[in-house]
Amino acid sequence: MANALRLYLYLASASLRSHMQYRATFALRSVIDFGVIISDLAPIWVLARYFGNLDGWSFAELALLYGMVATSWGIIEVTLRGFENFSTYLVRGDLDRLLLRPRSVILQVAAHDFEARKLARIAQALLVLGLASASLGLGAGSLAWVALGIVGGTICFGGIVMLGASVAFWTLGETSELQNILTYGGSAALSYPVSIYTKWFRRVITYGVPLAFVNYFPALAALGRVESAGWPRVMPWLSPFVCTAALFVGMACFSRGLRRYESAGS
Amino acid sequence: MESLRPYLQFARLAFQRRATYRLANWSGAAVNFFFLLVHAQVLLGFFRARANAGGWSASDAVLYFAASESLLMVIGIFPDFRYNLAERVRTGEIVSDLVRPVTLLWRELAERYGTGAYYLVTRAPAVFGAGWLVYGLVPPPRWELALFPLSLALAMAVSTGLWFLACSSAFWRESANGEMSAIVFVNSFLGGVFVPIDFYPPLMRWVTDVLPFRATLYTPVAILAGKLSGAELAFGLLHQVVWVAGLLMLASLLETRGLRRLAIQGG
Repeated sequence: MANALRLYLYLASASLRSHMQYRATFALRSVIDFGVIISDLAPIWVLARYFGNLDGWSFAELALLYGMVATSWGIIEVTLRGFENFSTYLVRGDLDRLLLRPRSVILQVAAHDFEARKLARIAQALLVLGLASASLGLGAGSLAWVALGIVGGTICFGGIVMLGASVAFWTLGETSELQNILTYGGSAALSYPVSIYTKWFRRVITYGVPLAFVNYFPALAALGRVESAGWPRVMPWLSPFVCTAALFVGMACFSRGLRRYESAGS
Repeated sequence: MESLRPYLQFARLAFQRRATYRLANWSGAAVNFFFLLVHAQVLLGFFRARANAGGWSASDAVLYFAASESLLMVIGIFPDFRYNLAERVRTGEIVSDLVRPVTLLWRELAERYGTGAYYLVTRAPAVFGAGWLVYGLVPPPRWELALFPLSLALAMAVSTGLWFLACSSAFWRESANGEMSAIVFVNSFLGGVFVPIDFYPPLMRWVTDVLPFRATLYTPVAILAGKLSGAELAFGLLHQVVWVAGLLMLASLLETRGLRRLAIQGG
Protein backbone atom coordinates (compact mmCIF):
# COMPACT_ATOMS: atom_id res chain seq x y z
CA MET A 1 0.00 0.00 0.00
CA ALA A 2 2.78 2.44 0.98
CA ASN A 3 4.66 1.33 -2.09
CA ALA A 4 1.60 1.98 -4.28
CA LEU A 5 1.13 5.44 -2.80
CA ARG A 6 4.78 6.28 -3.40
CA LEU A 7 4.50 5.18 -7.01
CA TYR A 8 1.33 7.24 -7.47
CA LEU A 9 3.02 10.34 -6.04
CA TYR A 10 6.06 9.74 -8.23
CA LEU A 11 3.97 9.50 -11.42
CA ALA A 12 1.82 12.44 -10.39
CA SER A 13 4.83 14.64 -9.74
CA ALA A 14 6.22 13.73 -13.17
CA SER A 15 2.93 14.86 -14.68
CA LEU A 16 3.04 18.03 -12.56
CA ARG A 17 6.59 18.81 -13.70
CA SER A 18 5.53 18.60 -17.33
CA HIS A 19 2.64 21.03 -16.70
CA MET A 20 5.03 23.36 -14.90
CA GLN A 21 7.04 23.83 -18.08
CA TYR A 22 4.45 26.48 -18.90
CA ARG A 23 4.24 28.35 -15.62
CA ALA A 24 2.25 31.38 -16.80
CA THR A 25 -0.32 29.15 -18.52
CA PHE A 26 -0.56 27.03 -15.39
CA ALA A 27 -1.19 30.10 -13.18
CA LEU A 28 -3.74 31.55 -15.59
CA ARG A 29 -5.62 28.27 -15.92
CA SER A 30 -5.74 27.84 -12.13
CA VAL A 31 -7.37 31.26 -11.81
CA ILE A 32 -9.79 30.41 -14.61
CA ASP A 33 -10.63 27.05 -13.07
CA PHE A 34 -11.71 28.93 -9.97
CA GLY A 35 -14.24 30.59 -12.28
CA VAL A 36 -16.27 27.38 -12.48
CA ILE A 37 -18.08 28.99 -9.54
CA ILE A 38 -19.61 31.41 -12.08
CA SER A 39 -21.04 28.76 -14.33
CA ASP A 40 -22.04 26.27 -11.61
CA LEU A 41 -23.04 28.15 -8.46
CA ALA A 42 -24.25 31.49 -9.87
CA PRO A 43 -27.25 29.91 -11.69
CA ILE A 44 -28.35 28.29 -8.40
CA TRP A 45 -28.11 31.70 -6.73
CA VAL A 46 -30.13 33.36 -9.52
CA LEU A 47 -32.92 30.79 -9.28
CA ALA A 48 -33.00 30.74 -5.47
CA ARG A 49 -33.12 34.55 -5.42
CA TYR A 50 -35.92 34.69 -7.98
CA PHE A 51 -38.13 31.95 -6.61
CA GLY A 52 -37.28 32.19 -2.90
CA ASN A 53 -36.70 28.49 -2.27
CA LEU A 54 -36.71 25.05 -3.84
CA ASP A 55 -39.14 22.72 -2.05
CA GLY A 56 -38.19 24.42 1.19
CA TRP A 57 -34.43 24.44 0.57
CA SER A 58 -32.86 27.89 0.98
CA PHE A 59 -29.90 29.14 -1.07
CA ALA A 60 -27.48 28.40 1.80
CA GLU A 61 -28.73 24.81 1.96
CA LEU A 62 -28.46 24.41 -1.82
CA ALA A 63 -24.93 25.88 -1.63
CA LEU A 64 -24.06 23.24 0.96
CA LEU A 65 -25.22 20.51 -1.46
CA TYR A 66 -23.20 22.14 -4.25
CA GLY A 67 -20.11 22.54 -2.05
CA MET A 68 -20.19 18.88 -1.05
CA VAL A 69 -20.57 17.42 -4.53
CA ALA A 70 -18.13 19.93 -6.06
CA THR A 71 -15.46 19.04 -3.50
CA SER A 72 -15.86 15.29 -4.08
CA TRP A 73 -15.88 15.67 -7.85
CA GLY A 74 -12.99 18.16 -7.75
CA ILE A 75 -10.83 15.68 -5.83
CA ILE A 76 -11.54 13.05 -8.49
CA GLU A 77 -10.77 15.48 -11.31
CA VAL A 78 -7.37 16.19 -9.80
CA THR A 79 -6.40 12.69 -8.74
CA LEU A 80 -8.10 10.29 -11.20
CA ARG A 81 -8.16 12.41 -14.35
CA GLY A 82 -6.58 9.55 -16.29
CA PHE A 83 -9.81 7.55 -16.15
CA GLU A 84 -11.74 10.41 -17.71
CA ASN A 85 -9.28 10.53 -20.61
CA PHE A 86 -8.90 6.78 -20.72
CA SER A 87 -10.53 6.19 -24.10
CA THR A 88 -7.86 8.38 -25.70
CA TYR A 89 -5.07 6.21 -24.26
CA LEU A 90 -6.87 3.15 -25.54
CA VAL A 91 -7.26 4.50 -29.07
CA ARG A 92 -3.75 5.93 -29.29
CA GLY A 93 -2.16 2.76 -27.93
CA ASP A 94 -0.76 4.48 -24.81
CA LEU A 95 -2.35 1.72 -22.77
CA ASP A 96 0.05 -0.83 -24.21
CA ARG A 97 2.93 1.13 -22.76
CA LEU A 98 1.35 1.05 -19.31
CA LEU A 99 0.73 -2.69 -19.62
CA LEU A 100 4.42 -3.31 -20.22
CA ARG A 101 5.36 -1.94 -16.83
CA PRO A 102 5.29 -4.36 -13.89
CA ARG A 103 2.97 -2.15 -11.81
CA SER A 104 -0.78 -1.90 -11.26
CA VAL A 105 -2.46 -0.52 -14.39
CA ILE A 106 -5.20 1.14 -12.33
CA LEU A 107 -2.55 3.05 -10.41
CA GLN A 108 -0.75 4.15 -13.55
CA VAL A 109 -3.92 5.28 -15.30
CA ALA A 110 -4.95 7.17 -12.15
CA ALA A 111 -1.72 9.14 -12.05
CA HIS A 112 -1.66 9.81 -15.81
CA ASP A 113 -2.59 13.45 -16.55
CA PHE A 114 -2.51 14.52 -12.90
CA GLU A 115 -3.97 18.03 -13.18
CA ALA A 116 -2.82 20.20 -10.30
CA ARG A 117 -4.49 23.31 -11.74
CA LYS A 118 -7.82 21.74 -10.90
CA LEU A 119 -6.95 22.20 -7.24
CA ALA A 120 -8.56 25.59 -7.86
CA ARG A 121 -11.87 23.78 -8.35
CA ILE A 122 -11.53 22.12 -4.97
CA ALA A 123 -10.61 25.50 -3.47
CA GLN A 124 -13.75 27.18 -4.78
CA ALA A 125 -15.89 24.27 -3.59
CA LEU A 126 -14.36 24.43 -0.09
CA LEU A 127 -14.92 28.19 -0.01
CA VAL A 128 -18.60 27.72 -0.86
CA LEU A 129 -18.82 24.92 1.69
CA GLY A 130 -17.26 27.08 4.40
CA LEU A 131 -19.54 30.05 3.73
CA ALA A 132 -22.63 27.84 3.55
CA SER A 133 -21.78 26.02 6.80
CA ALA A 134 -21.09 29.34 8.56
CA SER A 135 -24.32 30.93 7.40
CA LEU A 136 -26.31 27.84 8.39
CA GLY A 137 -24.50 27.75 11.76
CA LEU A 138 -23.68 24.04 11.49
CA GLY A 139 -22.43 22.37 14.67
CA ALA A 140 -19.66 19.78 15.06
CA GLY A 141 -22.02 16.83 14.50
CA SER A 142 -23.33 18.33 11.27
CA LEU A 143 -19.84 19.13 10.03
CA ALA A 144 -18.84 15.54 10.69
CA TRP A 145 -21.70 14.44 8.40
CA VAL A 146 -20.53 16.91 5.75
CA ALA A 147 -16.97 15.53 5.96
CA LEU A 148 -18.21 11.95 5.84
CA GLY A 149 -20.33 12.83 2.80
CA ILE A 150 -17.35 14.32 0.98
CA VAL A 151 -15.19 11.26 1.64
CA GLY A 152 -17.98 8.90 0.58
CA GLY A 153 -18.80 11.04 -2.47
CA THR A 154 -15.18 11.00 -3.59
CA ILE A 155 -15.06 7.21 -3.29
CA CYS A 156 -18.35 6.84 -5.19
CA PHE A 157 -17.21 9.15 -8.02
CA GLY A 158 -13.97 7.16 -8.13
CA GLY A 159 -16.02 4.05 -8.87
CA ILE A 160 -18.06 5.94 -11.45
CA VAL A 161 -15.07 7.20 -13.46
CA MET A 162 -13.61 3.68 -13.49
CA LEU A 163 -16.94 2.28 -14.65
CA GLY A 164 -17.08 5.01 -17.35
CA ALA A 165 -13.54 4.25 -18.47
CA SER A 166 -14.14 0.51 -18.68
CA VAL A 167 -16.94 1.00 -21.24
CA ALA A 168 -14.16 2.07 -23.64
CA PHE A 169 -12.84 -1.53 -23.71
CA TRP A 170 -16.05 -2.62 -25.42
CA THR A 171 -16.82 0.38 -27.63
CA LEU A 172 -13.23 1.46 -28.35
CA GLY A 173 -13.71 4.98 -27.10
CA GLU A 174 -16.55 6.05 -29.34
CA THR A 175 -18.93 6.29 -26.40
CA SER A 176 -16.55 8.28 -24.20
CA GLU A 177 -19.16 11.03 -23.88
CA LEU A 178 -21.54 8.67 -22.10
CA GLN A 179 -19.58 8.86 -18.86
CA ASN A 180 -20.36 12.59 -18.75
CA ILE A 181 -23.92 11.64 -17.83
CA LEU A 182 -22.83 10.26 -14.47
CA THR A 183 -19.91 12.63 -13.84
CA TYR A 184 -20.83 16.13 -15.06
CA GLY A 185 -24.53 15.32 -15.32
CA GLY A 186 -24.46 13.62 -11.94
CA SER A 187 -22.78 16.53 -10.21
CA ALA A 188 -25.19 18.98 -11.88
CA ALA A 189 -28.17 16.93 -10.71
CA LEU A 190 -26.76 16.62 -7.18
CA SER A 191 -26.47 20.40 -6.79
CA TYR A 192 -30.21 20.20 -6.04
CA PRO A 193 -32.05 18.04 -3.50
CA VAL A 194 -32.93 14.61 -4.90
CA SER A 195 -36.48 15.04 -3.54
CA ILE A 196 -37.36 17.48 -6.37
CA TYR A 197 -36.98 14.82 -9.05
CA THR A 198 -39.85 12.65 -10.26
CA LYS A 199 -40.18 9.20 -8.78
CA TRP A 200 -38.53 7.15 -11.53
CA PHE A 201 -35.59 9.55 -11.85
CA ARG A 202 -35.16 9.58 -8.06
CA ARG A 203 -35.12 5.79 -7.98
CA VAL A 204 -32.57 5.56 -10.78
CA ILE A 205 -30.11 7.93 -9.06
CA THR A 206 -30.65 6.29 -5.67
CA TYR A 207 -30.88 2.55 -6.30
CA GLY A 208 -29.57 2.30 -9.89
CA VAL A 209 -26.44 4.43 -9.71
CA PRO A 210 -26.10 5.45 -6.05
CA LEU A 211 -25.57 9.17 -6.78
CA ALA A 212 -27.95 10.24 -3.99
CA PHE A 213 -25.53 8.79 -1.45
CA VAL A 214 -22.78 11.16 -2.65
CA ASN A 215 -24.12 14.26 -0.92
CA TYR A 216 -27.90 14.21 -0.52
CA PHE A 217 -28.33 11.72 2.31
CA PRO A 218 -25.32 12.97 4.32
CA ALA A 219 -26.63 16.54 3.83
CA LEU A 220 -30.06 15.49 5.14
CA ALA A 221 -28.36 14.20 8.29
CA ALA A 222 -26.18 17.32 8.56
CA LEU A 223 -29.16 19.64 8.24
CA GLY A 224 -31.47 17.47 10.34
CA ARG A 225 -34.07 17.56 7.58
CA VAL A 226 -36.93 15.13 7.17
CA GLU A 227 -38.05 15.02 3.56
CA SER A 228 -41.54 14.51 2.22
CA ALA A 229 -40.21 11.73 0.00
CA GLY A 230 -40.06 9.66 3.21
CA TRP A 231 -36.64 8.02 3.03
CA PRO A 232 -35.76 5.40 5.65
CA ARG A 233 -33.84 7.15 8.44
CA VAL A 234 -30.96 4.76 8.00
CA MET A 235 -30.02 6.14 4.53
CA PRO A 236 -27.26 8.59 5.65
CA TRP A 237 -25.62 5.79 7.66
CA LEU A 238 -25.56 3.56 4.60
CA SER A 239 -23.70 6.17 2.55
CA PRO A 240 -20.10 5.06 3.29
CA PHE A 241 -20.95 1.42 2.55
CA VAL A 242 -22.85 2.10 -0.66
CA CYS A 243 -20.09 4.43 -1.91
CA THR A 244 -17.39 1.85 -1.16
CA ALA A 245 -19.44 -0.78 -2.99
CA ALA A 246 -19.63 1.59 -6.00
CA LEU A 247 -15.85 1.86 -6.00
CA PHE A 248 -15.44 -1.92 -5.98
CA VAL A 249 -17.95 -2.33 -8.83
CA GLY A 250 -16.02 0.27 -10.85
CA MET A 251 -12.69 -1.44 -10.18
CA ALA A 252 -14.13 -4.87 -11.01
CA CYS A 253 -15.51 -3.65 -14.35
CA PHE A 254 -12.20 -2.02 -15.22
CA SER A 255 -10.23 -5.17 -14.41
CA ARG A 256 -12.66 -7.23 -16.42
CA GLY A 257 -12.25 -4.94 -19.39
CA LEU A 258 -8.50 -5.08 -19.02
CA ARG A 259 -8.56 -8.89 -19.12
CA ARG A 260 -10.45 -8.94 -22.42
CA TYR A 261 -8.30 -6.20 -23.93
CA GLU A 262 -6.49 -7.18 -27.10
CA SER A 263 -4.18 -4.50 -28.33
CA ALA A 264 -4.59 -3.31 -31.92
CA GLY A 265 -0.97 -4.31 -32.20
CA SER A 266 -0.07 -1.18 -34.12
CA MET B 1 -18.34 32.27 -57.12
CA GLU B 2 -15.15 30.33 -57.69
CA SER B 3 -13.66 31.68 -54.44
CA LEU B 4 -16.53 30.23 -52.39
CA ARG B 5 -15.79 26.68 -53.47
CA PRO B 6 -13.04 25.87 -50.95
CA TYR B 7 -15.32 27.03 -48.13
CA LEU B 8 -18.17 24.83 -49.31
CA GLN B 9 -15.69 22.00 -49.35
CA PHE B 10 -14.61 22.73 -45.77
CA ALA B 11 -18.26 22.79 -44.68
CA ARG B 12 -18.92 19.48 -46.41
CA LEU B 13 -15.84 17.86 -44.87
CA ALA B 14 -16.80 19.09 -41.40
CA PHE B 15 -20.23 17.51 -41.91
CA GLN B 16 -18.68 14.22 -43.02
CA ARG B 17 -16.13 14.17 -40.18
CA ARG B 18 -18.95 14.27 -37.62
CA ALA B 19 -20.95 11.72 -39.58
CA THR B 20 -18.08 9.23 -39.31
CA TYR B 21 -18.57 8.87 -35.55
CA ARG B 22 -22.24 7.96 -35.32
CA LEU B 23 -22.02 6.20 -31.98
CA ALA B 24 -20.25 9.23 -30.50
CA ASN B 25 -23.08 11.44 -31.70
CA TRP B 26 -25.74 9.27 -30.08
CA SER B 27 -23.75 9.11 -26.82
CA GLY B 28 -23.65 12.90 -26.90
CA ALA B 29 -27.39 13.01 -27.51
CA ALA B 30 -27.91 10.86 -24.40
CA VAL B 31 -25.86 13.35 -22.38
CA ASN B 32 -27.93 16.28 -23.73
CA PHE B 33 -31.11 14.41 -22.84
CA PHE B 34 -29.91 13.77 -19.29
CA PHE B 35 -29.14 17.46 -18.80
CA LEU B 36 -32.54 18.31 -20.30
CA LEU B 37 -34.20 16.10 -17.67
CA VAL B 38 -32.18 17.69 -14.86
CA HIS B 39 -32.77 21.31 -15.92
CA ALA B 40 -36.46 20.74 -16.61
CA GLN B 41 -37.07 19.05 -13.26
CA VAL B 42 -35.12 21.71 -11.36
CA LEU B 43 -37.18 24.49 -12.97
CA LEU B 44 -40.41 22.55 -12.37
CA GLY B 45 -39.32 22.31 -8.74
CA PHE B 46 -38.72 26.05 -8.46
CA PHE B 47 -42.04 26.80 -10.16
CA ARG B 48 -43.86 24.81 -7.46
CA ALA B 49 -43.05 27.69 -5.08
CA ARG B 50 -44.26 30.38 -7.49
CA ALA B 51 -46.55 29.36 -10.33
CA ASN B 52 -46.17 32.27 -12.74
CA ALA B 53 -42.85 34.05 -12.72
CA GLY B 54 -42.24 37.13 -14.86
CA GLY B 55 -44.47 35.92 -17.67
CA TRP B 56 -42.90 32.45 -17.67
CA SER B 57 -44.80 29.29 -16.87
CA ALA B 58 -43.27 25.96 -15.90
CA SER B 59 -43.92 24.55 -19.38
CA ASP B 60 -42.21 27.58 -20.99
CA ALA B 61 -39.13 26.74 -18.95
CA VAL B 62 -39.23 23.06 -19.94
CA LEU B 63 -39.60 23.99 -23.60
CA TYR B 64 -36.67 26.41 -23.26
CA PHE B 65 -34.38 23.66 -21.99
CA ALA B 66 -35.61 21.16 -24.57
CA ALA B 67 -34.66 23.71 -27.24
CA SER B 68 -31.35 24.67 -25.63
CA GLU B 69 -30.09 21.11 -25.10
CA SER B 70 -31.08 20.29 -28.70
CA LEU B 71 -29.16 23.26 -30.09
CA LEU B 72 -26.03 23.37 -27.90
CA MET B 73 -23.97 21.36 -30.37
CA VAL B 74 -25.51 22.99 -33.43
CA ILE B 75 -24.43 26.43 -32.24
CA GLY B 76 -21.14 25.16 -30.83
CA ILE B 77 -21.40 26.28 -27.21
CA PHE B 78 -18.60 23.93 -26.13
CA PRO B 79 -15.30 23.98 -28.01
CA ASP B 80 -13.26 21.00 -29.08
CA PHE B 81 -10.28 21.22 -26.71
CA ARG B 82 -8.28 18.60 -28.62
CA TYR B 83 -8.55 19.80 -32.21
CA ASN B 84 -8.94 23.51 -32.90
CA LEU B 85 -7.23 26.51 -34.43
CA ALA B 86 -4.99 27.03 -31.38
CA GLU B 87 -3.77 23.42 -31.58
CA ARG B 88 -3.04 23.85 -35.28
CA VAL B 89 -0.97 26.94 -34.47
CA ARG B 90 0.85 25.14 -31.66
CA THR B 91 1.72 22.08 -33.72
CA GLY B 92 2.55 24.06 -36.84
CA GLU B 93 -0.15 22.26 -38.79
CA ILE B 94 -1.47 25.73 -39.58
CA VAL B 95 1.07 25.81 -42.38
CA SER B 96 -1.21 23.73 -44.55
CA ASP B 97 -3.93 26.39 -44.17
CA LEU B 98 -1.56 29.14 -45.20
CA VAL B 99 -0.85 27.61 -48.59
CA ARG B 100 -4.58 27.39 -49.34
CA PRO B 101 -6.60 30.19 -50.92
CA VAL B 102 -8.68 30.64 -47.74
CA THR B 103 -8.66 32.87 -44.69
CA LEU B 104 -8.58 31.18 -41.30
CA LEU B 105 -11.69 32.94 -40.03
CA TRP B 106 -13.85 32.03 -43.01
CA ARG B 107 -12.65 28.46 -42.84
CA GLU B 108 -13.74 28.28 -39.18
CA LEU B 109 -17.11 29.74 -40.14
CA ALA B 110 -17.55 27.25 -42.96
CA GLU B 111 -16.70 24.37 -40.63
CA ARG B 112 -19.14 25.64 -38.00
CA TYR B 113 -21.97 25.65 -40.55
CA GLY B 114 -20.99 22.18 -41.78
CA THR B 115 -20.79 20.78 -38.25
CA GLY B 116 -23.95 22.60 -37.22
CA ALA B 117 -25.85 21.19 -40.20
CA TYR B 118 -24.93 17.67 -39.15
CA TYR B 119 -26.12 18.16 -35.59
CA LEU B 120 -29.23 19.95 -36.82
CA VAL B 121 -30.39 16.93 -38.81
CA THR B 122 -29.33 14.27 -36.28
CA ARG B 123 -28.92 15.30 -32.69
CA ALA B 124 -31.35 18.22 -32.47
CA PRO B 125 -34.42 16.21 -33.55
CA ALA B 126 -33.35 13.24 -31.39
CA VAL B 127 -32.96 15.30 -28.21
CA PHE B 128 -36.03 17.40 -28.89
CA GLY B 129 -38.05 14.30 -29.76
CA ALA B 130 -37.01 12.56 -26.54
CA GLY B 131 -38.00 15.69 -24.61
CA TRP B 132 -41.34 15.69 -26.41
CA LEU B 133 -41.95 12.06 -25.42
CA VAL B 134 -41.44 12.93 -21.75
CA TYR B 135 -43.08 16.36 -21.54
CA GLY B 136 -45.25 16.50 -24.68
CA LEU B 137 -44.35 20.10 -25.49
CA VAL B 138 -43.94 21.66 -28.94
CA PRO B 139 -43.13 25.29 -29.83
CA PRO B 140 -46.39 27.27 -30.03
CA PRO B 141 -47.10 28.17 -33.68
CA ARG B 142 -46.39 31.90 -34.02
CA TRP B 143 -45.14 33.97 -36.91
CA GLU B 144 -41.98 34.84 -34.91
CA LEU B 145 -40.81 31.23 -35.46
CA ALA B 146 -40.04 32.22 -39.05
CA LEU B 147 -37.15 34.31 -37.70
CA PHE B 148 -35.65 31.35 -35.84
CA PRO B 149 -33.43 30.11 -38.73
CA LEU B 150 -31.94 33.60 -39.13
CA SER B 151 -31.28 33.89 -35.40
CA LEU B 152 -29.72 30.41 -35.34
CA ALA B 153 -27.38 31.26 -38.23
CA LEU B 154 -26.32 34.48 -36.48
CA ALA B 155 -25.76 32.58 -33.23
CA MET B 156 -23.41 30.18 -35.01
CA ALA B 157 -21.42 33.13 -36.35
CA VAL B 158 -21.17 34.68 -32.87
CA SER B 159 -19.92 31.45 -31.30
CA THR B 160 -17.38 31.03 -34.13
CA GLY B 161 -16.20 34.58 -33.48
CA LEU B 162 -15.78 33.95 -29.76
CA TRP B 163 -13.80 30.73 -30.28
CA PHE B 164 -11.68 32.42 -32.90
CA LEU B 165 -10.78 35.23 -30.47
CA ALA B 166 -9.88 32.69 -27.78
CA CYS B 167 -7.84 30.51 -30.16
CA SER B 168 -5.96 33.38 -31.74
CA SER B 169 -4.18 33.99 -28.44
CA ALA B 170 -2.17 30.92 -29.44
CA PHE B 171 -0.29 33.19 -31.86
CA TRP B 172 1.17 34.97 -28.83
CA ARG B 173 1.22 32.27 -26.13
CA GLU B 174 1.66 28.48 -25.89
CA SER B 175 -1.94 27.46 -25.49
CA ALA B 176 -5.42 28.91 -25.64
CA ASN B 177 -7.11 26.30 -23.44
CA GLY B 178 -7.36 28.75 -20.55
CA GLU B 179 -9.10 31.38 -22.67
CA MET B 180 -11.44 28.73 -24.03
CA SER B 181 -12.46 27.47 -20.57
CA ALA B 182 -13.02 31.06 -19.44
CA ILE B 183 -15.42 31.57 -22.34
CA VAL B 184 -17.19 28.28 -21.55
CA PHE B 185 -17.81 29.41 -17.94
CA VAL B 186 -18.93 32.93 -18.81
CA ASN B 187 -20.99 31.84 -21.81
CA SER B 188 -22.74 29.10 -19.81
CA PHE B 189 -23.89 31.71 -17.33
CA LEU B 190 -24.44 34.89 -19.36
CA GLY B 191 -25.59 32.99 -22.46
CA GLY B 192 -28.47 31.34 -20.60
CA VAL B 193 -27.33 27.70 -20.72
CA PHE B 194 -28.35 26.95 -17.12
CA VAL B 195 -30.94 29.67 -16.49
CA PRO B 196 -32.95 31.77 -18.96
CA ILE B 197 -31.58 35.29 -18.52
CA ASP B 198 -35.11 36.60 -17.87
CA PHE B 199 -34.68 35.51 -14.25
CA TYR B 200 -31.52 37.54 -13.64
CA PRO B 201 -31.52 40.54 -11.31
CA PRO B 202 -31.85 43.87 -13.21
CA LEU B 203 -28.18 44.84 -13.15
CA MET B 204 -27.03 41.43 -14.42
CA ARG B 205 -29.81 41.48 -16.98
CA TRP B 206 -28.37 44.75 -18.25
CA VAL B 207 -24.89 43.21 -18.45
CA THR B 208 -26.20 40.27 -20.50
CA ASP B 209 -27.88 42.69 -22.93
CA VAL B 210 -24.60 44.51 -23.54
CA LEU B 211 -22.15 41.59 -23.78
CA PRO B 212 -22.19 39.20 -26.76
CA PHE B 213 -22.96 35.98 -24.85
CA ARG B 214 -26.77 36.01 -25.02
CA ALA B 215 -26.42 36.07 -28.82
CA THR B 216 -25.02 32.53 -28.82
CA LEU B 217 -27.77 30.54 -27.13
CA TYR B 218 -30.43 32.63 -25.44
CA THR B 219 -31.80 34.56 -28.42
CA PRO B 220 -32.45 31.65 -30.82
CA VAL B 221 -33.66 29.36 -28.03
CA ALA B 222 -36.02 31.95 -26.58
CA ILE B 223 -37.47 32.57 -30.06
CA LEU B 224 -38.07 28.84 -30.48
CA ALA B 225 -39.65 28.60 -27.02
CA GLY B 226 -41.95 31.50 -27.94
CA LYS B 227 -40.58 33.87 -25.31
CA LEU B 228 -39.42 36.72 -27.56
CA SER B 229 -41.75 39.03 -29.45
CA GLY B 230 -42.20 42.66 -30.43
CA ALA B 231 -39.50 45.06 -29.29
CA GLU B 232 -37.61 42.34 -27.39
CA LEU B 233 -37.41 40.21 -30.51
CA ALA B 234 -36.19 43.17 -32.57
CA PHE B 235 -33.58 43.98 -29.93
CA GLY B 236 -32.44 40.35 -29.76
CA LEU B 237 -31.86 40.12 -33.51
CA LEU B 238 -30.21 43.55 -33.70
CA HIS B 239 -27.94 42.62 -30.79
CA GLN B 240 -26.96 39.48 -32.70
CA VAL B 241 -26.26 41.35 -35.95
CA VAL B 242 -24.15 43.98 -34.17
CA TRP B 243 -22.09 41.37 -32.36
CA VAL B 244 -21.60 39.21 -35.46
CA ALA B 245 -20.16 42.27 -37.20
CA GLY B 246 -18.09 43.33 -34.19
CA LEU B 247 -16.65 39.91 -33.38
CA LEU B 248 -15.88 38.97 -36.97
CA MET B 249 -14.10 42.29 -37.57
CA LEU B 250 -12.06 41.87 -34.39
CA ALA B 251 -11.29 38.25 -35.30
CA SER B 252 -10.20 39.26 -38.78
CA LEU B 253 -7.90 41.90 -37.31
CA LEU B 254 -6.38 39.38 -34.91
CA GLU B 255 -5.87 36.95 -37.79
CA THR B 256 -3.81 39.50 -39.71
CA ARG B 257 -1.80 40.51 -36.63
CA GLY B 258 -1.31 36.94 -35.47
CA LEU B 259 -0.12 35.66 -38.84
CA ARG B 260 2.43 38.44 -38.95
CA ARG B 261 3.85 37.17 -35.66
CA LEU B 262 3.68 33.52 -36.58
CA ALA B 263 6.96 31.71 -37.06
CA ILE B 264 6.87 28.11 -38.23
CA GLN B 265 9.93 26.01 -37.57
CA GLY B 266 10.91 24.27 -40.75
CA GLY B 267 12.04 20.69 -40.63
